[in-house]
Amino acid sequence: MIRITAVGHVFNQLQDGASLPSLDAGLGQVCRERFRRVDRFIELALLGSGRCAEGRTLDADCGLYLGSGLGPMSGVIATQQQLIRDRELPKPFNFINTLGNSAGYYVAKNLGLHGQNLFISRRGASLQALLAAALTDLQAGVVRQALVGVVEEATLPLAEHRRRQGLPEDMAVAEGSHWLLLEEHATAGHRLEREHVTHHETTASRPAAFHDSIAAAQLMERLLKGEAAVLADGDPVRGWELFHFRP
Amino acid sequence: MAAVAIRGVGLSCALGRDVAACAAALLAGGKPPARVALPGLAEPVQVAYYRIDDGSGLFDPGRFARLLPGVVQDAVADLSASELSTLPLFIGSSCFSIGQSETGYAGALARAASDTYPMPHCGYDWLAGLVRQAIGGGGESFTYNTACTSSANALLGACRALRAGRHRHALVLGAELANLTTLSGFSGLQLLADQVRPFEAGREGLVLGEGIAAVLLSVEGAAGAMRLHDGASNCDTFSVTTADPEGMRVAEVLRQALAQAQLKPEAIQGIKAHGTGTPTGDLAEASGLRKVFGTLPPFSVLKPYIGHTLGACGVIELVMYAGALAQGRLPARLSPVAADPQLGVQPLGVSRSAPPGYYLLNQFGFGGNNAVLVLEKPA
Repeated sequence: MIRITAVGHVFNQLQDGASLPSLDAGLGQVCRERFRRVDRFIELALLGSGRCAEGRTLDADCGLYLGSGLGPMSGVIATQQQLIRDRELPKPFNFINTLGNSAGYYVAKNLGLHGQNLFISRRGASLQALLAAALTDLQAGVVRQALVGVVEEATLPLAEHRRRQGLPEDMAVAEGSHWLLLEEHATAGHRLEREHVTHHETTASRPAAFHDSIAAAQLMERLLKGEAAVLADGDPVRGWELFHFRP
Repeated sequence: MAAVAIRGVGLSCALGRDVAACAAALLAGGKPPARVALPGLAEPVQVAYYRIDDGSGLFDPGRFARLLPGVVQDAVADLSASELSTLPLFIGSSCFSIGQSETGYAGALARAASDTYPMPHCGYDWLAGLVRQAIGGGGESFTYNTACTSSANALLGACRALRAGRHRHALVLGAELANLTTLSGFSGLQLLADQVRPFEAGREGLVLGEGIAAVLLSVEGAAGAMRLHDGASNCDTFSVTTADPEGMRVAEVLRQALAQAQLKPEAIQGIKAHGTGTPTGDLAEASGLRKVFGTLPPFSVLKPYIGHTLGACGVIELVMYAGALAQGRLPARLSPVAADPQLGVQPLGVSRSAPPGYYLLNQFGFGGNNAVLVLEKPA
């Protein structure tokens, strides 16, 4: 039986004109070392996963399933500015940080993992795709533990961030990093089965990152409170089921 | 658990558009890469590149929309409209829509538009949208971005979903087309060479390439169809960009792939190596292979013929290697190879027959990502 045995997350509602909140104090608590030349996407992944794994030692072969709707935007933006606006070759660390799985590498290094390490995306439903993949692997015995996380990074100015995603100018914007630890043969925690993860494809008009982060944040808050219920996503218009779980 | 069958394939790469013709060209020795100038940079940069000869400008943002549909349609040609409507999509790439973004940003800068901002177009799901248009359907999608193992991991994900009974068919796509970010990024890392010479003494680096390949996997296949027996994937945290020269995690993922398929090393008839031609990458792969195999099976390298297609290489090289196996031959380096004594291994220098049995396909990437596939050529 597969259960959710730990959760951890970061969720920051952001305000126009304000800087992004510092993650340094939190990172200091969950990181084994100070990683250099990492961007905010990687920091968010480190902090959320670190909080999920806090107080426990994960199996070294724990599978890592990281996803995102938009991915490491600050690294990609920096690279495009260097390349196209400044007409220079991208800085190596900016270029490397554009890879979706760079964040997975640092999470694995921080938590001492060397098992399967995946980055999977599905517009507006990356968490569902990640859970589907992780549950398939857990049920097949490919992994016994799965650390599943969705990370959405916001970039400043927020007006550009909204335009990039096609969001209304007055829509609230957030950043987040939301993680669950799934374990086979666990005796405590919320039960989760592959059949509970429903499949929804989203339309191009749905803002991927906003949907992913809000939905995942709502899930985390319920799990942290020990609640068990059908979870609806945070979409203000359509509100459909993300997935549900049984206590 | 049962293997899954390769029921359909589609391909477009530097060697051409037809799988059998590309495999034949591969067995005949291929052709050298083109020289490509990177536009827009203050200091001129030229790189060697294996490009698809489609008659368009290399950085034309319309190429994906023109090249991808035919490849995908070839792979799913014998599925019904009903089967296509729910066909799950497993996609691996390392470029996605970055080329579209580059064009949009450069255009806005040139126009001095008031709303100019980088990355005006973003989204990993863009390729899934193109596939849906091409096949007039498509079910749930899984888009993988694990650097050079992206489409190999997509193959593993599809294989496992089929073996778990979630679907009867799955489409797996590997896609990589030229874009400035990738070519300039690798140039900035000083990893590029004029020629790719995997496992050779004096090798200097990799040559990039582009390609799109699609594979239709099915729980049932025709007699004689190649079969995929899953594989394994892991992560080496030695360095985000450099492989561990001892090859410990390479050996581990090879052993995991063999164990998962319930095979002993002696059962392997041949290996498609990752073989990028970088000094450290080939050293790590050679070290890992030596740890697992007492006597190394004949191993082939494909990047001297099509370049390193990055996130797409898992599917592209599977299609190419399986195509050569179907013609009864193991690909070989036909040009003289200067052995590197430090490696202790050498790719196949003379093509030989490919017997029925099991074959391994290696893929390794940035972020320490390693993936190995197990392929069966039936008797």
